[in-house]
Amino acid sequence: MFKQLIPRATARSSALRSIQHPSHVSRLSPSTSLLQDRIVQRRGYATPAEEKDLVIIGGGVAGYVAAIKAGQEGLKVACIEKRGSLGGTCLNVGCIPSKSLLENSRIYHQIQHDVKNRGIDVGDVKLNLTQMMKAKDTSVSGLTKGIEFLFKKNNVEYIKGAGRFEDQNTVAVDLTDGGNSVVRGKNILIATGSEATPFPGLEIDEKKVVTSNGAIALTEVPKKMIVIGGGIIGLEMGSVWSRLGSEVTVVEFLGAIGGPGMDAEIAKSIQKTLAKQGMKFMLNTKVTNGDASGEGVKIDVEAAKGGKAQTLDADVVLCAIGRRPYTQGLGLDKIGLETDSKGRIVIDSEYRTKIPHIRVIGDCTFGPMLAHKAEEEAVAAVEYLTKSYGHVNYNAIPAVMYTHPEVAWVGQNEQELKEEGVKYKVGSFPFTANSRAKTNLDTEGMVKFLADAETDRILGVHIIGPNAGEMIAEGTLALEYGASTEDVGRTSHAHPTLSEAFKEAAMSTYAKAIHY
Amino acid sequence: MAGVVNTARLSARLASRYAPRQSTRRRLHVSSRQRAAQNYTMPALSPTMTEGNIATWRVKEGDSYSAGDVILEIETDKATMDVEAQDEGKLFKITQPDGAKGVKVGQRIAVMAEEGDDLSSLEMPADDSSASASSGKEEKQPAEDRKTDSASPKQEASSTGGSREIDPGVSDPKEMEKPYAESAPTKPAADRTQKHYKYPLFPAVQQLLHEKNISDPSSIPATGPNGRLLKGDVLAYLGQINKDYPSALSARLTKLSHLDLTHTVAAQPTQPDQPAQKGEVPASKPDIELPSETEIAVPISLSAVIATQKRVQSTLDIFLPLSTFIARASELANSDLPARKGAAPSADELFNSVLGLDKIPRSSRGRFFPQISGISPLPPTRPARKAKKADIIDLLAPKAAKSKEVGRGQIASALGVSAGDNVFSVLAGRGEEERATEYLERLKMALEKEPGRLVL
Repeated sequence: MFKQLIPRATARSSALRSIQHPSHVSRLSPSTSLLQDRIVQRRGYATPAEEKDLVIIGGGVAGYVAAIKAGQEGLKVACIEKRGSLGGTCLNVGCIPSKSLLENSRIYHQIQHDVKNRGIDVGDVKLNLTQMMKAKDTSVSGLTKGIEFLFKKNNVEYIKGAGRFEDQNTVAVDLTDGGNSVVRGKNILIATGSEATPFPGLEIDEKKVVTSNGAIALTEVPKKMIVIGGGIIGLEMGSVWSRLGSEVTVVEFLGAIGGPGMDAEIAKSIQKTLAKQGMKFMLNTKVTNGDASGEGVKIDVEAAKGGKAQTLDADVVLCAIGRRPYTQGLGLDKIGLETDSKGRIVIDSEYRTKIPHIRVIGDCTFGPMLAHKAEEEAVAAVEYLTKSYGHVNYNAIPAVMYTHPEVAWVGQNEQELKEEGVKYKVGSFPFTANSRAKTNLDTEGMVKFLADAETDRILGVHIIGPNAGEMIAEGTLALEYGASTEDVGRTSHAHPTLSEAFKEAAMSTYAKAIHY
Repeated sequence: MAGVVNTARLSARLASRYAPRQSTRRRLHVSSRQRAAQNYTMPALSPTMTEGNIATWRVKEGDSYSAGDVILEIETDKATMDVEAQDEGKLFKITQPDGAKGVKVGQRIAVMAEEGDDLSSLEMPADDSSASASSGKEEKQPAEDRKTDSASPKQEASSTGGSREIDPGVSDPKEMEKPYAESAPTKPAADRTQKHYKYPLFPAVQQLLHEKNISDPSSIPATGPNGRLLKGDVLAYLGQINKDYPSALSARLTKLSHLDLTHTVAAQPTQPDQPAQKGEVPASKPDIELPSETEIAVPISLSAVIATQKRVQSTLDIFLPLSTFIARASELANSDLPARKGAAPSADELFNSVLGLDKIPRSSRGRFFPQISGISPLPPTRPARKAKKADIIDLLAPKAAKSKEVGRGQIASALGVSAGDNVFSVLAGRGEEERATEYLERLKMALEKEPGRLVL
């Protein structure tokens, strides 16, 4: 009887939709309705000041991971982010967009210079930079939206706005859409991240003088580009524009590229490779002055130890001398939290500030400024909260530079071991002797193991080569487990793969490699 | 109700997932090989459940079942729940038949056998559970495990040829260094290595142990992460490197694994004028018990409906009972109700909302049906009916037939509905108030404004 009615009924449902709410809807059963009214009233007062278990300031990698983890642990959690999209520097203007550009520029470069040898003749190869940027933006927006989805899935309240401490438990938020709001939290997690350190004397306009933010969004390929700072960011962005046709010069104050942590031998090796690809390097060179007033940018440089001065011209200058913690407008002084001379918020080993229910993780505090380090800390910080213990092994945090070939390392490097006076063994294996690298015609690089001379325990793994960033995961695992090189050497690795080079390098540390 | 049953099923599934695991564990450790059949005990289907009644056994003695099959139904004071099998197996013997009352949680209710066991030759295992209540058993379980764990290596040693009875805790390293081959082959040694370590040994460690004929690695001090035995530890044990070196190395690496916060210097010592005591948040507000259901009512006049009914009857000579009008109006009002507040959105809905595609309000079909009671023109005794929860069908349909005899003109009052205002009410669950209100408003609209369209 009901089924028959359905078609007829739905046909008219639209007519019914437009009914205005009549006011004479009453509630029966006095006892429940009374209670109901009281609840409604109370709710009206309670909502704005509702206290969360955890309030997270910053929706970057540290903040969003902590938020999701806390949601999964059943905490009532809110995450405040002012950018307008989640994921922070990494997803919006860092790791992710730069990887999109690196991959696509590499393909472009390879088609231009390499595929002929492989038996592929292509006609005119043209760069469509707008499309390349669009591909990058699609990746970014897909990923940031994905996090928003995960927030909803894990019951994280996402507050769009800039947070600032009102008191130890209260964060005032200037909402992006206008207006103010206040969130109270039993615990507060600061994860405000970092920003590019500006170069004194050069004003950043993100057009001619850019940081990494501008370097991923140039609208045309600059003819000449100067990169101040030969660290990972500088070399990656330098690679991108060099492949797309820029004449790139890297100016580095220190005597080696790659920044702190990279093994000296590896750094020299990658410098040679990149130079072969067309990048120019000026090491031990100091930038003394910059002038962006004209058509292009003029940069005055001189040898670091004093020496002849020189002026370089460029269309675009990328300033990549490092990043600094970003805590502006957070109101740290209002609650008496301290930072050190570099602006890092002072914490203890459990990420607590001197106000124990306020914790700090990620770039705005100590340790390497890496997204995956922030992620580890995020999980650990939430676990300190819920399980009173969290695990992060700072000696087993890999670092990767996504040039081509990639450079990746974990653990200590030779310089550090020498400095500490540790006796160590070195074992290495070049990709030229690896079957897969040979077939791929991509044989640049090597795997290098540093192991304790006595116990054979792995102290560091350094890789330069195709897909080094993926391969370093195995080294990290070995380090985390306290494995020896023999343990790795006795573990089967599929053939033919690049990972065989990893195994053979381990074998060459405690015994001898088979294929070299 | 359906919801309650569903949740009950879910928890039953969870509980039963846990229950067989316990018995499996027991089989591995306590009941060893000679006993293939295992006791199946009353599962705790909710954290508070202490006893239950067996409603029916869905699987009969001797029948096989596979994972996911419903084995039996258990009745508690709250609901009847299905218990599903987690593994395949065979029901050997039912010890608590259908209808057994007040079976304590943890008490044996059946004996299960492995798939393919010959039931005729199976021994019944001892009922080790009937006496102990569930809580007591849980405490006992780990202790039992431990006992058997420490006991088993001993058994193993004596059974493999027996010359060395070694307590793993106080083994003599000198003894261990003797060539092992003379008394026992290498295989048991490997077995023993597996026994002592929670983790599989590293390949390099295994290699060294075999090469150097070390049969008891547990006597070697381990310095790896989480007490893991490393190659260096074995080398130190063998005297090939300095004995203290591995631990010194571990200490160094452990230090590296932490953030170095020792030289942290605060930049500019600001004058902290923070309150002396860390202002704790005022005590949490007491939770309010929300009523689980609210009755929402709307007065709806049926005069238009009755007028239409009369008009239809006089023009077409078809009698349409009021129930038809109300049922159709209800059907119409139920379609596309706004989504329940607090209802968990699906993954699709979440993703759509991230993409900004959620501007169309979520809606779903309602399942409301009104209870009706007349008010205004009825005799004073009538309002008492208001409280009575009667289904509209009970109220209207059977009596409608009867009313024909009485005379069609009197239908309205005979039904307990008046031509004037009647109170239509529905019960709304928590979070459903809005839906219910919307439903009633639509119902009112349909019945008062254009009842003719409901039937024509």
